[in-house]
Amino acid sequence: MNEERSYMEVDRMRFTKNTASSRLAILAIVFNVLYFISIYKSDVGNYYYTALIGVSIVYNLVFMLTTFLCSEGVKNYNRSYSKVLIIVGILQIVRIFILPLKMHNTLMSSAPVESTLHILNYYIPVTKDLVVMETWQFVRVVIYLAASAFCLFRSAVINLKKSRALNDHIANLSSQA
Amino acid sequence: MAQLNLQHLDKIYDNKVQAVYDFNLDVADGELIVLVGPSGCGKSTTLRMVAGLEDISNGKLLLDGRDITRAPAKDRDMAMVFQNYALYGHMTIYENMAFSLTLRHEDKNVIHKKVLAAAEILGLTNQLNKRPAQLSGGQRQRVAMGRSIVRNPKVFLFDEPLSNLDAKLRGATRREILLLHKRLGATMLYVTHDQTEALTLADRIVCMSMGHVQQVGTPLELYDKPNNIFVASFIGLPPMNMFDVIFLDGKLKGRGFEVELDDRQKHILRNQYGLELVLGVRPEDIAVGENMNVLVSTNENLGMNTLVHGYVGSTDGPRVTAKLRGWASYKNGDIVGMRINKMHFFDKDTTQAIREED
Repeated sequence: MNEERSYMEVDRMRFTKNTASSRLAILAIVFNVLYFISIYKSDVGNYYYTALIGVSIVYNLVFMLTTFLCSEGVKNYNRSYSKVLIIVGILQIVRIFILPLKMHNTLMSSAPVESTLHILNYYIPVTKDLVVMETWQFVRVVIYLAASAFCLFRSAVINLKKSRALNDHIANLSSQA
Repeated sequence: MAQLNLQHLDKIYDNKVQAVYDFNLDVADGELIVLVGPSGCGKSTTLRMVAGLEDISNGKLLLDGRDITRAPAKDRDMAMVFQNYALYGHMTIYENMAFSLTLRHEDKNVIHKKVLAAAEILGLTNQLNKRPAQLSGGQRQRVAMGRSIVRNPKVFLFDEPLSNLDAKLRGATRREILLLHKRLGATMLYVTHDQTEALTLADRIVCMSMGHVQQVGTPLELYDKPNNIFVASFIGLPPMNMFDVIFLDGKLKGRGFEVELDDRQKHILRNQYGLELVLGVRPEDIAVGENMNVLVSTNENLGMNTLVHGYVGSTDGPRVTAKLRGWASYKNGDIVGMRINKMHFFDKDTTQAIREED
């Protein structure tokens, strides 16, 4: 019974798309969007006006384009797109250690005086140092990037598994014919 | 499969226009009924009432004895195939066929089995990954049928499914529908204005005009024993010739011709002596002979047959069309003697047939 069921599930793949992988890749884009819209949340003066953030913006665009392309590729059980997804996933992990971590470890040098948090912190020191990216925001963007990476890895693995099963099934059908 | 009973169905629209009058029909299990008639006769409206797409103004609709007159379309367990296929262009053939079952949240593997089985029946197995735009009209119509088959409905409803196809494809798809009916043994209601489709497909034909049922019967009954002038002229191609005649001295006398009647025919017309009648003669029941002289106007060679159009006697006489066997080459203006082999009689006032049993 289970054997028949698994046979049917693989056979079904001949006519259905790999929506699981595709949707996970799209979800990775969503997490990435959440990452880059939340990175600018804190009032941090002119910290962002550097080449690094410019590169970050360009990378975000490249990431979204690549991942969307891959989401379409894995929809059709194309294995080579899994490799791209894994590379992009690794880059998402690496990104945690570039901009977010760097900002979290950097003291705010030119924060505006009117910043309520800054004034409060001056008179009543709540935190030891006022950093560019506060801990709560750092945790949040790390979660977003990690979640995005997880989705990419999961999407790639599912696609690899399914495409292998489908290829074996088609080869089996061809040999029977 | 199922029995369907249509009892005294009326369709009256909000603007008081009545499209269907007192429609009665009992459809047996596994029967293929064809509703035929000219445009606007109410055949599609009747089908839509059965499908639940139109409200039934009066009457009752029973499916296996269950009253479904007011039941919504989704609860009627019927599947309809439309003229324009109604396929989703962005979905593959597989997804189109599986769509209705997906909406019902059926098990995906069960859906897969049903779709593959339907595709096998319809010869669509190699097309399942394509989109509708990549298929021919006939294949698209087969997909539409496949979408109905996977649902395993009690009744199949077809609303002029072949009208969008060219003549060759129409013939091929018609044969496929016939094979499908034999294979599935399904109860089917089929609407068409094409009498060839009706004659070739139907177990029984319902001929309609102006919202009224004119005759219900087997294709042969409608062809051979039409109830009235409308059915006689609608069924048959080319249509039946109609001549105004009078019954006198054991003969039928029309403009420019006389026909001697045999004893059986005289017996049928025993109460019509001296009265005006309408004589119906099918073109294929006319042969070269001596009953009437026909002034030929056009001659159409069809290969096995020749259609000869002309007038009885002169251009003032009634028009006549004869379907002669073989290849004939008459010219415009030729006078050809013709013989009537078989006759149908109709009352001129009521337009009803006058037959032996009457």
